[in-house]
Amino acid sequence: MPGVYFTTSEFLEDAQSAAKDRGMPGIRMLALPADTYYRARSSQKELQPIAAAFIDKMVDELTRPLTAEEAKPSQVQKQFERANIKVTAKSYEDAYQKVNDLFLDSHWADGLPIVPPTPKLVKAMLAATTRSPQELLGQAAPKQGTVTVEKVAVNSVMAGAKPEYFPVILAAMDGFLDKKYDLTHVQASTGSFTPVVVVSGPIGKELGFNSGIGMLGHGFRANSTVGRALRLSLLNLGQTWPQVNDMALTGRLESYTFFTFAEDQEKSPWEPYDVSLGYKPEESTVTVATVGNPLVLGGGAVAPWTGQGVIDQIVARISGGGGFAWFHSQTYVLVLIPDCAVDLANAGYTRKSLQAYLYEKSRLPFEKLSPATVKLTHEATADGRISPEHAQVFLDNLKPGGRVPIVQSPDDFHIFVAGGSPGYDLLFTYPGPNWAHQTKKISGATLTKAGK
Amino acid sequence: MKRNTNWLLATALLVGGLVAAGTAAAQVTVEVMNPRGEIPPPPTIGINPRVPDLAGKKIVLVDNGKFGADNFLEVVAQLLKQKYPTATIVMYPKPAAQTITDMPKWYPTVKQQGDLFVFGVGD
Repeated sequence: MPGVYFTTSEFLEDAQSAAKDRGMPGIRMLALPADTYYRARSSQKELQPIAAAFIDKMVDELTRPLTAEEAKPSQVQKQFERANIKVTAKSYEDAYQKVNDLFLDSHWADGLPIVPPTPKLVKAMLAATTRSPQELLGQAAPKQGTVTVEKVAVNSVMAGAKPEYFPVILAAMDGFLDKKYDLTHVQASTGSFTPVVVVSGPIGKELGFNSGIGMLGHGFRANSTVGRALRLSLLNLGQTWPQVNDMALTGRLESYTFFTFAEDQEKSPWEPYDVSLGYKPEESTVTVATVGNPLVLGGGAVAPWTGQGVIDQIVARISGGGGFAWFHSQTYVLVLIPDCAVDLANAGYTRKSLQAYLYEKSRLPFEKLSPATVKLTHEATADGRISPEHAQVFLDNLKPGGRVPIVQSPDDFHIFVAGGSPGYDLLFTYPGPNWAHQTKKISGATLTKAGK
Repeated sequence: MKRNTNWLLATALLVGGLVAAGTAAAQVTVEVMNPRGEIPPPPTIGINPRVPDLAGKKIVLVDNGKFGADNFLEVVAQLLKQKYPTATIVMYPKPAAQTITDMPKWYPTVKQQGDLFVFGVGD
């Protein structure tokens, strides 16, 4: 069936890139002028001259006979060379500079200088895991680049990670590459979504992750370089670049290191997050999740607060919607400071009961839902996006008088304990179209007691 | 004495020059590993043959659900009707739960309804 695809001038390169990625480089596209289309799109009257200027072009794209290349495009060849690169210079300082210039100019780095990934340094990184360098971890979206343990090691060296961090980085990549994780969205979306990366279990303390004051800030090598290794791995193996196929309009928050921290198990009144999922206390895991901007709660060092007040503030915030929502894939990452978690535990809350409280209190009256959300939620129950286990609750409430859950299950409120004392609680929301949350066990470590 | 001094000076300059030349010629080579993964190239597919004329055709306007796309396609529909009164225009809002990567789910419906399609507006 012949067709034509309308995009805008700011997204034409992105659209062409996606067409090539999917093996259809010849798709005919028309790019509306971004500087006028976006401002006019609320009004058919204002759109009229824009559409009129394109109508003949559109007809031409639908009627002009195909070229031979459009009808049978030549097979795309492998896009990138895997061989090692040799850089010659007058001195090591010059060589270091040349390597950095090459990597930065080739879009193989994040804009900051990198540690040159020499075979010796990569070998040392690989020695930190029993996993084979050639082990295939998966294909990274959006270009479906092949991800091996060795390739992640190269990017980890570049990030300045210590070899002992490597098993954590690999487990996080296992999460991102899980087929149930929508990696495309966080790699390419116009929204400024960013991964949050949380280490649970004894390896967090052993590696010196910061879980306290300043845990999302700079200065802590484990937090910073594990996050940066993941940033570089996703950039190089999924092969994204801003304004080309990573279209985050304001850029991604915490783009260089992601939101990377560890749970503070010593101060938490509850079992570790991963133990609540069924892992053993002696095991270590890493959780990766796509999130939007965090909501900052509590009083920090300047205002009073109560645990109940914090969670009621959360309820008020997340149940204030009524616009379009993807309930089938919505998840929340709630990071409570230890003082707040203890306050809630003293009031009788367990992690489970707190999840149940948030689930119940945030349900929305059916009358508040937009028609698009009602339609979407029905579709999601029919096509299995809302699992059969949870579908009936939605079906029973998608009618006048009903109270519709905003997540599939109470377990979609993922509660971690970390942060300073005093500190602020953080609520990360994910309103994306598909699931983007995974926890993976850290294994194969050779340089640490935990994560074996 | 003066002659000896000149010889010493000449020798020193020669040795110094050789050292300098040696330094200038010395080079270091650093080998680094490529950080990028291979991309298995997908099989390439050609696009479908065009139609000679839109007159009398069924044209499906696929609204991708992005804000304003419905308005834009509505205007396109009006313009097409003016230009091709015998054409049939079908408005098709893509199911909200399905993204572009779910194309196999919604494309068959589009194909069933028309002879050609217009998709917009991304993004």
